[in-house]
Order: sequence, then structure tokens, then C-alpha cells
Amino acid sequence: MKIQIDERKPGVFVVSLGGDLDMSSSPQVRNILLPIFRKKASHIVVDLTDVPYIDSSGIATFVEALQLSRKDKVRFSLAGACRRVESIFDLAYLKNIFEMAPDANQLVEGEQGR
Amino acid sequence: MKLASIKGPVILDIPADPPAMFIVRALVGEISSRIGFEDEETDKLVLAVDEACTNVIRHAYKNSSDKRIVITFTLGMDCFEIMIRDFGSGADPSTFKGRDLEQVRPGGLGIHFIKSAVDKIEYDTPPGGGMVLKMIKFMPLQERAQN
Repeated sequence: MKIQIDERKPGVFVVSLGGDLDMSSSPQVRNILLPIFRKKASHIVVDLTDVPYIDSSGIATFVEALQLSRKDKVRFSLAGACRRVESIFDLAYLKNIFEMAPDANQLVEGEQGR
Repeated sequence: MKLASIKGPVILDIPADPPAMFIVRALVGEISSRIGFEDEETDKLVLAVDEACTNVIRHAYKNSSDKRIVITFTLGMDCFEIMIRDFGSGADPSTFKGRDLEQVRPGGLGIHFIKSAVDKIEYDTPPGGGMVLKMIKFMPLQERAQN
């Protein structure tokens, strides 16, 4: 799994993932994603453009991040999910629980930063 | 080539190791597409088999990657059958419950994904220990007619 973290504006982080998000790669994503909430983040966007597949362990990682975002009052969004990945969120009844956008840049452009 | 012309089952014997699961996904996806299932049905089937193997690794084998999972694919006249055999500690299938989908919390989705993908699931405890999960999906009507 390729993971890239980019602080586009002060407090606005884009985490770009590349590869299947499954039982094998989810722990790595979790270990990198969750600590960002402690970095005085105001908005964390996970860019899923290059993620062709996600399973329940990948979804669990994002649910955990969502819970942390609510606790820490950090905006948390998912962007660029392909049809296949989006349909798995739909199957889990979670599509409307997450803020999902077609494009990470679009989300970041509208942000003022911290 | 029509899959129906293949005689007998196809058997995949694979290490119970998460990095090996892409092989399972690729094979299930390819077979499902060739059978004639729509992309959405194929995606759900791939997810279901992946989740079933993940459950074996996590629960039956307690993440011990030196064990094996044997997956048998059988194409019947009107159904596609996938049998997942483990050699783990075994468990009571009545305790396999997913979480309430109204609750937003990590975990508990695997069983829900499996049930959403196939028409029938059966569990068996074969001699020698472990468990067998059989997933049955009825063929698309057009394919049934051709078989």
C-alpha cells in the first residue's frame, strides 16, 4: 500500500492511498491515519482515487477515524472513491455516514486552513 | 470458452496469509465474470469470499499464517458453489452474527457482506476438525438456459 501525507494548508491534510485496502494493508493505514488527528488537524481528507478495492477491515479503519473525528471535532472526508469502493460503503449502509466527495482537490480548495 | 465445459471442481489451496488474498480475489473475479454475473454481482462475490477467508485467518487460525485454506469452486447446472475449508479450532455457526447495521462502529460487517452476495450459505464440521463454509449462488438465467 502506498501512503502519502500532504498538509495542503495549515491543518488540512490529504492522505493519498494507493493499492487494495484489505486485511493486509489496513493496519498500516490505521497506524498512519489516526495519529494525524493529534497533529492539530482541522480537516483530514483520504484520497481513494488509487484504491481499487476495500474490505471490512479497511472500512473499520475509516469508521474508527470517523469516531475520532467526532470526538476531536476534526472534519473527516473521503474523496475519489471508484464505483466498486463506493458500492461497498453502500452495502455497509455507510455511504451517507461519511462525507464523500468526487475529488480531494475540490474539498481542499474550499478550505481556509487553520 | 464456456466454464460449463470444465469437468470437475477447481481447487485453490492457499496459505492463510493476508497478502495472499489478492490471489483469491483475482480468481473469484475472473470465474464470476466468465460465468456471466454482472460486475456488481461479481464485486459482491469477490468481497464475500475475501471476507470468509479473512474470518478464517482471524478467528479459526488466530492470525497464524502457517495454516492453509482450501477453496473449491464447482459449477453446477444452475448454480456456482464456493466451498471454503479450514483446519482450525472450529466454532458454533449459530454464534456467527454480524452487527446491527444501524450502529456505526468498526467490525461485524463480514457476515453481512457474505449473506448479501450469495443465495445460500451452509456450514459443516467435517471429520478431522475445522469447518466448511459453502456459499451457493444461482447462475444468471441466461447462463442456466445455455447450460
